Amino acid sequence: MAGITTHVLDTDRGRPAAGVRIDFSVLDNGQWRLVKSVVTNADGRTDAPILPADKAETGQYQLEFHVEPYFKARSGTSEADIFIDNPVVRFAVFDAKQHYHVPMLCAPSSFTTYRGS
Amino acid sequence: MDHLPDRYVLTRRGLVATGLGAAAAASTGAALAQGTPAPAGAPAKPGTLNTAPVSQAGLSPRLTMHAIDNFHGTPGAGMVCDLAMHDGEGYRLLKTVTTAPSGRTAEPLLVDDAFKAGRYELVMHFEAYFATFGVKLPSPNFLSLVPIRFQIRDAGQRHHLPVLFTPWGYSYYRGS
Repeated sequence: MAGITTHVLDTDRGRPAAGVRIDFSVLDNGQWRLVKSVVTNADGRTDAPILPADKAETGQYQLEFHVEPYFKARSGTSEADIFIDNPVVRFAVFDAKQHYHVPMLCAPSSFTTYRGS
Repeated sequence: MDHLPDRYVLTRRGLVATGLGAAAAASTGAALAQGTPAPAGAPAKPGTLNTAPVSQAGLSPRLTMHAIDNFHGTPGAGMVCDLAMHDGEGYRLLKTVTTAPSGRTAEPLLVDDAFKAGRYELVMHFEAYFATFGVKLPSPNFLSLVPIRFQIRDAGQRHHLPVLFTPWGYSYYRGS
């Protein structure tokens, strides 16, 4: 299946990060244009693909993960320990027939992303 | 992963290992000239790993970084990085630096009076970095200009920012 999906995991607690807002944007004439905002479900995924297969096209895309409110709302986390700042991942869809799974693994002081499957 | 053999043929490092470095360097250089230009001062090949880890324990408050190339298993030498600070409206460029052979910068990114609490963004030029070494990747690559966003809440503390990267992913954290 083509398109873009994500999965937000709280590697500090070893569980999905639910309720994280994700802003999805596309590079449009040199400017980032917001396409939509979605919120992760109980499994840390979005109910629907970020970019469905029938809308897949090549281009530069951006996912902004609003994890700071998530960490602040989480019990037992000191605000002083939050080092990452709403990570932004910018990536290219270079072949619209392929699928792009872009997970984000986060903790208050670390962030990891990669092309997943 | 069917591009792996090509990748190694194309890297100078691989060619040097088979004794063909001198002849290949010229042709690789010509091929690279058509792609993304190498940043000024970029090394001719991926860095080598011949130093012990560096401890910064006890140093004064500062912001330092370390680029680690998990694709070649070397320090990320010659990586161009743009450091910006959020001024309330957007990120304002403070400086552009290029990592040294150690994958670190010659001077701290910020130190003394320049080291202030705030929201920062370090944009790392991944695509140019891998192009320098002739790594064969899609164009545009999955990752090209990579923003690393972090916060300094207490400028009285030393902050270290390691970034571990490949063409297909990266990781960063508050280091030591």
